Amino acid sequence: MDKLLVSPSPHLHTKTSTKSLMRDVVIALLPAVVVSVLFYGWSELLVLGVSVASCVLLEYLITRYMLKKPCTVGDYSAVVTGILLALNLPATTPWWVVFIGAVVAIGVAKMTFGGLGQNLFNPAIVGRVFLLISFPTYMTDWTRPQGFVGGGLDALSGATPLGLAKEGGVAAIESLDYMDMLFYNIGGSAGELSALALIAGFIYLLARRVIRPYITLSILATVAIFSGIFWAINPAEYTDPAFNLLTGGLLLGSIFMATDYVTSPMSNWGGVIFGVGIGIITMLIRYFGAYPEGVSFAILIMNSVVPLINKVCHAKKYGRA
Amino acid sequence: MTQTIIWTIAILTILGAALAVVLYVVAEKFKVEEDPRIDEVEKVLPGANCGGCGQAGCRAFAQHCVESSPNLDSCFCPVGGNEGMQKVAAVLGVEVAAKEPQVAVVRCNGTCENRPRINEYGGYQSCRVKATLYSGDTGCSFGCLGCGDCVAACQFGAISMDPATGLPVVDEEKCTACGACVKACPKAIIELRNKGRRNMRVFVSCVNKDKGGVARKACKAACIGCGKCAKVCPFDAITVENNVAYIDFTKCKLCKKCVAECPTGAIHAVNFPVIKPKPAAEAPAQPVEKKEE
Amino acid sequence: MMKTFSIGGIHPSDSKISKDCKIEVLPVPSKVFISVAQHLGAPATPIVKAGDQVKVGQVIAEPAGFISAYVHSSVSGTVKSVGPRKDLAGNNMTHIEIDVEGDEWVEGVDLTDTLVTAIPEDNKAILEKIKMCGVVGLGGATFPAHVKLCPPPGKKADCLILNGAECEPYLTSDYRIMLERSKEIVVGAAIMKQVLGGCPAVIGIEENKPEAIKAMTAAVAELQASAKGYEGISVMTLKKKYPQGGEKQLIDAVMGRQVKSMGLPIDVGAVVQNVATSLAVYEAVQKNIPLITNVMTITGDCLPMEKQHNYKFRIGMPLSYIAEYAGGIPEAAAKVISGGPMMGKAIANMDATTVKGSSSLLYLTAEQTVRGVESACIRCGKCAEACPMGLEPFLLQKYARNGMMDELEENAVQDCIECGCCLYSCPANIPLLDIIRLAKGDVIKIIRGRGQR
Repeated sequence: MDKLLVSPSPHLHTKTSTKSLMRDVVIALLPAVVVSVLFYGWSELLVLGVSVASCVLLEYLITRYMLKKPCTVGDYSAVVTGILLALNLPATTPWWVVFIGAVVAIGVAKMTFGGLGQNLFNPAIVGRVFLLISFPTYMTDWTRPQGFVGGGLDALSGATPLGLAKEGGVAAIESLDYMDMLFYNIGGSAGELSALALIAGFIYLLARRVIRPYITLSILATVAIFSGIFWAINPAEYTDPAFNLLTGGLLLGSIFMATDYVTSPMSNWGGVIFGVGIGIITMLIRYFGAYPEGVSFAILIMNSVVPLINKVCHAKKYGRA
Repeated sequence: MTQTIIWTIAILTILGAALAVVLYVVAEKFKVEEDPRIDEVEKVLPGANCGGCGQAGCRAFAQHCVESSPNLDSCFCPVGGNEGMQKVAAVLGVEVAAKEPQVAVVRCNGTCENRPRINEYGGYQSCRVKATLYSGDTGCSFGCLGCGDCVAACQFGAISMDPATGLPVVDEEKCTACGACVKACPKAIIELRNKGRRNMRVFVSCVNKDKGGVARKACKAACIGCGKCAKVCPFDAITVENNVAYIDFTKCKLCKKCVAECPTGAIHAVNFPVIKPKPAAEAPAQPVEKKEE
Repeated sequence: MMKTFSIGGIHPSDSKISKDCKIEVLPVPSKVFISVAQHLGAPATPIVKAGDQVKVGQVIAEPAGFISAYVHSSVSGTVKSVGPRKDLAGNNMTHIEIDVEGDEWVEGVDLTDTLVTAIPEDNKAILEKIKMCGVVGLGGATFPAHVKLCPPPGKKADCLILNGAECEPYLTSDYRIMLERSKEIVVGAAIMKQVLGGCPAVIGIEENKPEAIKAMTAAVAELQASAKGYEGISVMTLKKKYPQGGEKQLIDAVMGRQVKSMGLPIDVGAVVQNVATSLAVYEAVQKNIPLITNVMTITGDCLPMEKQHNYKFRIGMPLSYIAEYAGGIPEAAAKVISGGPMMGKAIANMDATTVKGSSSLLYLTAEQTVRGVESACIRCGKCAEACPMGLEPFLLQKYARNGMMDELEENAVQDCIECGCCLYSCPANIPLLDIIRLAKGDVIKIIRGRGQR
């Protein structure tokens, strides 16, 4: 001991850091990543690789040379964005499209607002929506590339369940087996493949206290109730709740994207309002909109309301009932 | 085609005219009656909104001037200085007495050498936070804490920390004597002193109220309150209170007798012309700031 | 179900390494320096001067105001000087320096171990004794005890809560006295309960101290069976959560009531006293012993087991003397803390001396205590989740950095109890409490100023 260290209390600090939180999110995403690579093979690996590499590189370059701020690459936040972006794209997306998505996600959605902690919208979703609007052909090409396992997976090739429902109504999806969808057989973006893998990630995040369950559960509950009501009224016209919960990017979005710290409300009640909003907008788009899927749009729209929600919803204070 | 253009122009014109009427009516109706002289005074102010005058900003100061006119004794804009106040007086058509220009002076010479660190501070880098926690990382509980609250408070970029000494340095060219740093310093080390003839000043660069031995032990450059300076001063400008000497800048005639007398070198004379290597002509002689800069 | 407070809280590892170390009595050094500021409120006024002979327990400084306390000599000998000396934060404070000669006590003090269970009937006399013996709250705030025991007119105490939570990690002094002086603590509780008008008394102890719960329950049962005036005292097991020992949190946990913002515990009928205070009350009232001793823990992960101690010390002993006696400051220690690691003060000056409220010398290593580099707020809300007052530290620090006083007041910065949960839990190492603490002071000043106008 040389000189006494003096600082204000508290003198202890949690071991949790921004880095460890982000690393936990990456770990939680691993089941979904593994499943998607197993079933979509080399092309998915390419999408993932390009996405993560370009997100990290761009973050490094921009913080270092444009913002001249301390570099935030070490905290894994760019890795999370990269993985999420890749999981939100079809496995067949060409590498240069993925790169453009990364530029928009990191460059536009994150860094123009001032970097980590400042962005209004979820970077990965902004990237995905930008690509969806700019390159609709690539973004809705649901042909399934050859994976490392499961050759007989192409039962649904050509369209997502939600796409089928949009085109052909409830009749078109009658042949779908929900058990299949739960395990590995949801057509669509790479990360939507297995509901179970995503749920495993959710449980990990909850167990590690990385996220609170309010946002995710309120989205899922809203979707279930909303579609339940419509389905109960007219089962021939509207798809059923289980179908709506398992298909599309709902699980991926509600577990990993809507719960993004930066772009979601701080308080628990705020989270519930946020989640209900996402659920309703998602179902409105699915039932009545032009697109078959609306989770991304719903999250983006609700992202923009977050500052307002934060202003209204505060934590319950001691002694101020 | 032509019709489209005509219609477009017509609609825009009508819209424009209608809105102009609305704006005019609203502006008239909700007009706030204000002394027009406030605007005029504000125009001649520097517009720094530094608060150095004690008001919330330049507009508030302008209002204060108008309200207290014709007696402007309570109004002084340190940024604009006497010149600026003459302008204000001219606008208001009154007289104002000139004030001595001032400058911020850091009264601590506890450099890393003079005042060894005896512990290490590991909290938020703010003098205020540090001051509420404890006496500081040296043996001196009165001296500069070195976290730079004064630097952050200065609107004019006139204060910077010298990494070699760990003390703030005032750029006399940029300092407007607004007093923001004086308020920011939790240890009340910074003082506004008259600039003095040709910027020459003599001051005690220490505020340590501890007894001589204690003060000296903590810092080699501390004022030990021995009173030698007060005895030697021919103008009664120096007082020793609470073991620390203070030079009244209104009485000091810059004779520098005290500087030679001080056993610890706590009294600083700055901006005096260098005598040894042939006097550098006239003009604002190169500052020979002791320790500073 | 075990009770606890309803909002926020954190679960740091409790690290009660020294819990099995019996209380040892520290020998008196050759010289003590007794501070006149050992309590919350105005520092006491010294009434002795250099050359005076003093005995142990003799008053050497008198209260200087309503919220102030008597200070007694902890040794017998000659007063060498009365003057400024640096306290543990390095600030000058008047200390009375006494050269120790023998160990002669003032008259009327009962130094035997006999337990006195009969409680005097005159409440006024009891309060006078508590005041004259300089008893202050020993849970951290050192608020003069007699003031707290006299509810203002119109207010009545519904419950006396004895704080045995000791929620701060590492500290074991309260735990040890609950084991070794259980009956005395219960007698103290019965005295205070009687002074407060016979309200029930609850001794709140966290679940991680089962032996203390057992000892205290047994002491209560035995005294209730053998003496009068002990009915209505009970032991309550609380869930382990920091800051359970915070006054407002303990009231919430035990009574399910919340003190209003800027209010006092008595507003909701609660009086909270630490178990150590209860012991001091017992000694003052039943034994005439003024508050000149307390128990402190010498601990830290970098201390070997044989150097962990719980010491009974006398006020005015230099910390460096105690550290030396306990085996020296370990090489690995970077910071020495007086008090717990969450709310204690880092010691800047080891030559400072013990005061009534001293509770530990805690050695932390650099690895444990050096703060990480501050990074951007990721708005995770962990600080708000942790805040036991339901505040939003992320918001408060932003307002504070921008000097937005109205917003700070609106968002209840004045309710902050400075427990440190926010800074503890921030993954971005933002110095939340450092900044909020200052803002709180500023806002309270503004509120007080407004009240006077």
